[in-house]
Amino acid sequence: MERVVQILRALLQRALSENGRELLALADVTIESAAEPRLWVHFSNGYRTSAPLLPDDCFAFCERHAVWDLEGLRRALLSEARFAYAQMLQEQADMRERQRRAWVTEQMRRLGHGLAQSLRPRREALRFTGLGGRTFLDEGRSEAHERGMRLLKDTLLPAQRQQYAKYGYFEVIGGRSGKRYRIRHGRSMNIDQLDKNGRRICGWCFFPEGNLVTGDVMLAQKMALELFEGDAIKIANKMW
Amino acid sequence: MGVHIVMDRSGDTRHEFDIADAKAVALAEKRFRELTGKGFRAVALAKDGGPGHLIGKFDPEVEQTLFIPQLQGG
Repeated sequence: MERVVQILRALLQRALSENGRELLALADVTIESAAEPRLWVHFSNGYRTSAPLLPDDCFAFCERHAVWDLEGLRRALLSEARFAYAQMLQEQADMRERQRRAWVTEQMRRLGHGLAQSLRPRREALRFTGLGGRTFLDEGRSEAHERGMRLLKDTLLPAQRQQYAKYGYFEVIGGRSGKRYRIRHGRSMNIDQLDKNGRRICGWCFFPEGNLVTGDVMLAQKMALELFEGDAIKIANKMW
Repeated sequence: MGVHIVMDRSGDTRHEFDIADAKAVALAEKRFRELTGKGFRAVALAKDGGPGHLIGKFDPEVEQTLFIPQLQGG
């Protein structure tokens, strides 16, 4: 690509990035004759931007367009700029569309995952009692799951262990606020904040990154609430 | 003997090191820095099942350190 076209594209790119989501119409391209000639790109809202232009930069461009006067050069540059700008706007629109699609896909995935997770404990609670004999429909007997559950069990206080075995949840006290939370068996949407009578006030949803097994997720949630409650609640989503 | 327990998709991965072995301790410290650099939180586990405590700096005297990946809202 000719140097002058590169400069033109860089100026157009700068205009797009400096004007955010405002859609600017390209108005004109001018060449400022001075000790150091500059190429200016003008937009409909009055925004303009420039870069220095060396005679050597123009030579190949003038040759390709067979223009050897300033006005001819300006017209050729404007035509080139319109073509490049249309391309860039199209690319930008395509990218926004891709981002929108990715966002919707991700939200749908999370929603589906969250619903599946929230239904899981209730369904399991109907089928199984006691931690010893408890197996979960979707988790099978995988080694990773077993390891995660073992780590969780080893890290719970005896009272929490008993509570979990009996009810499928355990309670923790927030290290910073002293608030009471119930962590139900699950990997997301499984934390309830309780009042002093044990009634649910609201729910919180946060979990560690990396698609971890249930035991790890619950242990991370417990540790977070006990040791860095403020940070955890800051990033968590609240559910009523 | 110290052990680093790193939560991952396999449940957890454990790295044991002898605190009398300078080379092993250096490796453990390197691992500690790498993981915390990636956003993992390091928790010194309590022996009695209590909550333990957060550690920001490598301490070879901590028997069991649990590494929790960065949290995200759901």
